[in-house]
Amino acid sequence: MRLGFVIDNRKCIGCHACTVACKSEHDVPLGVNRTWVKQVETGTFPSVRRSFHVMRCNHCADAPCVEICPVSALYIRPDGIVDFDNGRCIGCKGCLQACPYDALHIDPRSNTAAKCNFCSHRVDRGLQPACVVACPEQAIVAGDLHDGQSFIAQLVAGQPVQQRKVEKGTSPSLWYIDGDAAALDPLATQAGRCSATDAPAGRPLAELGVAAELGQEARLHYDAPKPEPPWGWQVSAYLVTKGLAAGLLLLPLAAARLLGADVPVSLLLACGLVSLLFQAATAVLLVADLKRPDRFLNVLLRGNPRSWLVRGAWILTALGAASSTLLLAAWRGWGAQAPLGWVVLLLAPAAAIYTAFLFAQAKGRDLWQSPLQPVHMALHALLAGAAGVLLLEPSWGPAPALAGIARATLLWGLPLDVLLALAEITLPHASRAAAQAARHLHAGDAAPRFWGVAVGGSLLAALLAGQADAPAAAALITLAVLFVRNDLWVRAGQMVPLS
Amino acid sequence: MTRRPGQHAGWLERVAESLGLIETLVPGGERLAPLAPAGELLRFPPEEQWDDWVEYDAQAWPRREARHRMLVPTTCFNCEAACGLLAYVDKDTLEIQRFEGNPQHPASRGRTCAKGPATINQVHDTDRILHPLRRKGARGSGQWERVSWDEVLATLGGRIAGALREGRGNQVVYHVGRPGHEGYMDRVLRAWGIDGHNSHTNVCSGAARLGYALWQKFDRPSPDYANARFILLISAQLESGHYFNPHAQRIMEGLQAGAGLAVMDPRLSNTASMATHWLPTRPGSEAAVLLAMARVLLDEGLFDREFVREWVNWREYLAARGRPGGSFEDFVARLREEYAEFTPAFAAAEAGVPAEQIVEVARRVAAAGSRFAAHTWRAAGSGNLGGWCVARALQLLSVLTGSVGTVGGTLPAGWNKFVPTFFDNPPPQKAWNELHFPPEWPLCHYEMSFVLPHLLREGRGRLDTYFTRVFNPVWTYPDGTAWIEMLTDEDKVGCHVALTPTWNETAFFADWVLPMGHGPERHDLNSYETHDAVWIAFRQPVLREALRRLGKPVQLTHEANPGEVWEEDEFWIHLSWRLDADGALGIRRHFESPTRPGQPVSLDEYYGHIFERVPGLPEAARARGLDALEYMRRFGAFEVRRGCSGQHKDPLPATALQGATTQPDGRVTGPDGALRGILAEGQARKGFPTPSGRLELYSRTMEEWGWPEHAVPGYVRSHVHPARLDAARGEFVLLPTFRLPNLIHSRSSNAKWLVEIAHRNPVWMNADDAARLDLRTDDLVRVETEIGWFVDKLWVTEGVRPGVLCCSHHIGRWRREQDPQGNRWAVNTVKLSADGKLWRMSTLAGPQPSDSDDPDTRRIWWRDGGVHQNITHAVHPDPVSGMHCWHQKVRVTRPGPGDRYGDVVVDREKSQAVFLEWLALTRGERAPAGLRRPLWFNRPLRPVDEAYRRP
Repeated sequence: MRLGFVIDNRKCIGCHACTVACKSEHDVPLGVNRTWVKQVETGTFPSVRRSFHVMRCNHCADAPCVEICPVSALYIRPDGIVDFDNGRCIGCKGCLQACPYDALHIDPRSNTAAKCNFCSHRVDRGLQPACVVACPEQAIVAGDLHDGQSFIAQLVAGQPVQQRKVEKGTSPSLWYIDGDAAALDPLATQAGRCSATDAPAGRPLAELGVAAELGQEARLHYDAPKPEPPWGWQVSAYLVTKGLAAGLLLLPLAAARLLGADVPVSLLLACGLVSLLFQAATAVLLVADLKRPDRFLNVLLRGNPRSWLVRGAWILTALGAASSTLLLAAWRGWGAQAPLGWVVLLLAPAAAIYTAFLFAQAKGRDLWQSPLQPVHMALHALLAGAAGVLLLEPSWGPAPALAGIARATLLWGLPLDVLLALAEITLPHASRAAAQAARHLHAGDAAPRFWGVAVGGSLLAALLAGQADAPAAAALITLAVLFVRNDLWVRAGQMVPLS
Repeated sequence: MTRRPGQHAGWLERVAESLGLIETLVPGGERLAPLAPAGELLRFPPEEQWDDWVEYDAQAWPRREARHRMLVPTTCFNCEAACGLLAYVDKDTLEIQRFEGNPQHPASRGRTCAKGPATINQVHDTDRILHPLRRKGARGSGQWERVSWDEVLATLGGRIAGALREGRGNQVVYHVGRPGHEGYMDRVLRAWGIDGHNSHTNVCSGAARLGYALWQKFDRPSPDYANARFILLISAQLESGHYFNPHAQRIMEGLQAGAGLAVMDPRLSNTASMATHWLPTRPGSEAAVLLAMARVLLDEGLFDREFVREWVNWREYLAARGRPGGSFEDFVARLREEYAEFTPAFAAAEAGVPAEQIVEVARRVAAAGSRFAAHTWRAAGSGNLGGWCVARALQLLSVLTGSVGTVGGTLPAGWNKFVPTFFDNPPPQKAWNELHFPPEWPLCHYEMSFVLPHLLREGRGRLDTYFTRVFNPVWTYPDGTAWIEMLTDEDKVGCHVALTPTWNETAFFADWVLPMGHGPERHDLNSYETHDAVWIAFRQPVLREALRRLGKPVQLTHEANPGEVWEEDEFWIHLSWRLDADGALGIRRHFESPTRPGQPVSLDEYYGHIFERVPGLPEAARARGLDALEYMRRFGAFEVRRGCSGQHKDPLPATALQGATTQPDGRVTGPDGALRGILAEGQARKGFPTPSGRLELYSRTMEEWGWPEHAVPGYVRSHVHPARLDAARGEFVLLPTFRLPNLIHSRSSNAKWLVEIAHRNPVWMNADDAARLDLRTDDLVRVETEIGWFVDKLWVTEGVRPGVLCCSHHIGRWRREQDPQGNRWAVNTVKLSADGKLWRMSTLAGPQPSDSDDPDTRRIWWRDGGVHQNITHAVHPDPVSGMHCWHQKVRVTRPGPGDRYGDVVVDREKSQAVFLEWLALTRGERAPAGLRRPLWFNRPLRPVDEAYRRP
């Protein structure tokens, strides 16, 4: 059995009955919606029409939200319904990023994720979802897609039907009859202003429409309020603290073990201690970003092993354990240093890179799907590590060879990062959404910070790294640049509307 | 990936839980048996489980927590359609948990629009009025004190009794926004013997009613959309209007079965967007387009000759045109002459749509024949000078296609409506209230309610006790400052009693504010012509009914409702009982229990009497072991009859033929000359209740009452005709009346889920106009009317024709700082001041997050509450129908330096002057001597026939 929806746009009249029936059934708070009716106007007078499209969870057979959910709060039932258990949810918002359909939100009462669950509490009692019952036109059809005799299966088989974002490979269970590309494609209209609603307080209107590219005039008439982007500065900062923590272990150990550089124990200890400090900061930032920080242990103890959030937590935990033991051993002069060092040398790059796979699991965000992301992450860890080394070496050195490697890392690594960034925005994008996000970076609101700080700052830091007398300045600028660079990347990825 | 709720992820989690490291999640819960095999889903719990329906708690899910609910039917009281609702009452807390549709309701069939389920917001509205209140300080000063119902009844009863005893009965007035019941208040007012009914109809449907009534006396259309082959709407029935949800269901059924849909509307409504033919006609040109279509039918011989020959008063028409005794062919030729000027090219020039489109739609109409369903109600009729011509011209198409009263056609509303039988029928009143039916408008179809302040200002009378009931003229009506002036003047209005569930702009200026229940908190009988059937539905106080079923009955509804919220039915019974304590006024006996002498009638008695006399209902009830009242309390609705077409063809029964004479013109009359039927299709038949007994193409009434040029359906150039507009000066036509599917007038502002979807009302402007004026979406504009202006934001769209602006109804609600908090989702806080006759309003703040018992008031995310536009409109009473002509000629300019969003300025001197201009258009003086109104014209609260005659 696979339950699904058909939205029959030959019948939908845009009355919002489904929206309100859902609000009533689930007591959905103001500001968030489990389902809503997007309305788009296309054409020019008098050849103009308004189309109505019910937006909601697509109950995907390959649901990205289920995969990314670190605590299996989201799950697929045997009948195909993607349901959720808010008792498990930690509010990491990963599902909001993973869903290509904008189906999830954070319920402000419980601070946990919520979405359309096909009214599974009604289904298990033998009743249709509330929206289906309310609809004056019976334009919402729910039923078993696998039962060839069912009305819904016959509609899907017998009518021309459309789905949203099939390229995402999510196998949605929601079909539209008479779906309009101008409404199903979130980029077909300018985001933001609607006829009869105010913009959400404090949220500037995004001007991201690419209607011209589609070759038609399409204007948004109604859309549900879009909450703030789920991930903000905490996530950007976490990327830097984690990179720094990993890099401060990676660079000295790699220099000592692989390149034979002479690194005094005092500097090794200082780098390790500062790394531990930033590992702690990373953990604090990660927990602080949870909407339910009280449930942070769920990640480790109720973990979904397929979620890179969980895998990352295990890697960070292991790195923390290994690196602190290594430090203890180095301080006390234990013989275990050698094997521990190799363990840390393996774990530190893993800690640096895993986030790329986590961001890749955020399937809704096309910008983050770049295959170059692991390279970025590794490079950023090295750059951060180099910056850290350059700041610590004058006090805890001397270690001229390591400092030289660190300066060389900045000197060559920063321009390489700029090249990678430029490649990201200039090379053809896999999707229009990715191109749109990239355009936000180099030509949109973020352009001054992108060109001024991310590019200009990188080159300046590289230049300073080439000067013998300014390593500290180069290091500080590098860290600042890395924060801005990651922050832009985190935010730009979320600028593109999903629905 | 598949995991059942409550199923744990693994050993690590179990260990962690047992060590107390993480919260122990309660697995499972009680598993309830599904109603049907997996995959087969029902729409509603089976009715035998309604007394104790067990369901899972949606909030606790996926934990399986069983909840016991009692399902109690009632009807929605948002729009007039009275769709069925099913209240889910939690049996533990005895609170209403939610509303769904009632599957037993024949019109809504278990489905609702957005407003149905939002009823729960209105029940739980934190700002609702819970107790009777009396003003402290000056009227309008915003200070209130709580009083008891007993004090209310004693004080008002004494006051009204005094007025009745002193012969000032006409100074006691009940002014209703929308009745929502069948005949209840007529009975009360007749018992009081006063002509005290005033209604909102002439800001609403008065024009359409006249247009239909001139043809057939029945003043409403009842289209049978579901069986139609072609549908023509001058309305937006797929999203609003009477009766949105039931109509939308059946229009869609027709469309899915292959019918075409033509929609005339200058704005792209949702309905227009679903049409096969959208005619964005220029406002006011609709009748010209319809007459051009009629001309196509006549010229191309595409009309139903036999129907017209038998059922239209063409002989009378020919006689009036100087050819008495002419043949039917003479008539056809003469009629073609009559409409010769309405060429498609002429109509196209008037309307700004292609002539080919008009011809194409005309041919589609003709091809549908007797399955042509047509509807107009407000829209163009309520917008324009001469708007009543629109419904009359539309009905001409129904007549020519022979689709009047047919399957798939348009039935007279009366055929699809139930008339109740009461336990007691007071006689009609003898009085005539000229404040409601002034002599200038003898043909006005309903009361001239919106000019009441202007009439009082002219010194035409005074109100002693004025009840406003779910009625908000200060905000909804044009010229709201005239209402504020009237209501604050105690010489004009001695006592103002607002009956309302929630605060509104009119209640701010009351002496008494009496909380009356929402849909699930009151009794009403409903019956509407939603489709080709006759049905009744029962609005009932849900908690009172739940208590009754639980064996804890209450005596009065306010004992079960929230706070002391009462309902009108019981209020009027008890007020009538109190105001005639000794029975000397002869009122008390009409409210006395038929079975318990000396006691006021109970609502069980009142409704039980009606239900026992509904054909078929007692039998249906007995089949389930119930009496009729119990049936209605449990199931909420009953279909009395299905399929009502062709009633004009009913042969006259033998009793009606006794002593009857057939006149040369085919009328069958009794010895007293009264019409009994007509000779048609070779037999004496029922016909139509007009003076001629047939459909009146020709109206002798119009001829005799001073409008000879309107003896047949015609076209009047609107007050917003292009000839009266100067586009170069930035002049536009403003359509201020369009409605949103999720809101209803000013009575849905207390529903948070509805307001969240729509809370601002920018002015719509076509993109070409905006480009010409260099304006963009969100730019502020000043919209100047005849009497003032308002400052609004702009919404640039392709969905409106150039030269036309639209601004939606419902939005721009306000309170002054001293007024109580109400409807906080939708209400702006404003400063309102009068400098002599110049009124100003400015917005201090839009909706804001605030604390209350409902955490959602903290989550209000919008700050824009829109702009009050109606207050800047002058009154435009149509000289014939009396209908307020809503469209406004406006000028759009960039805002002045001091202008802020939401500003309103109104000059009351100008507003009185505009009233006098329109008053001068009337021809009341040409009425036949001695008559106030044609005797065959109906009237709300129809008095005795003698009252139609001038003293």
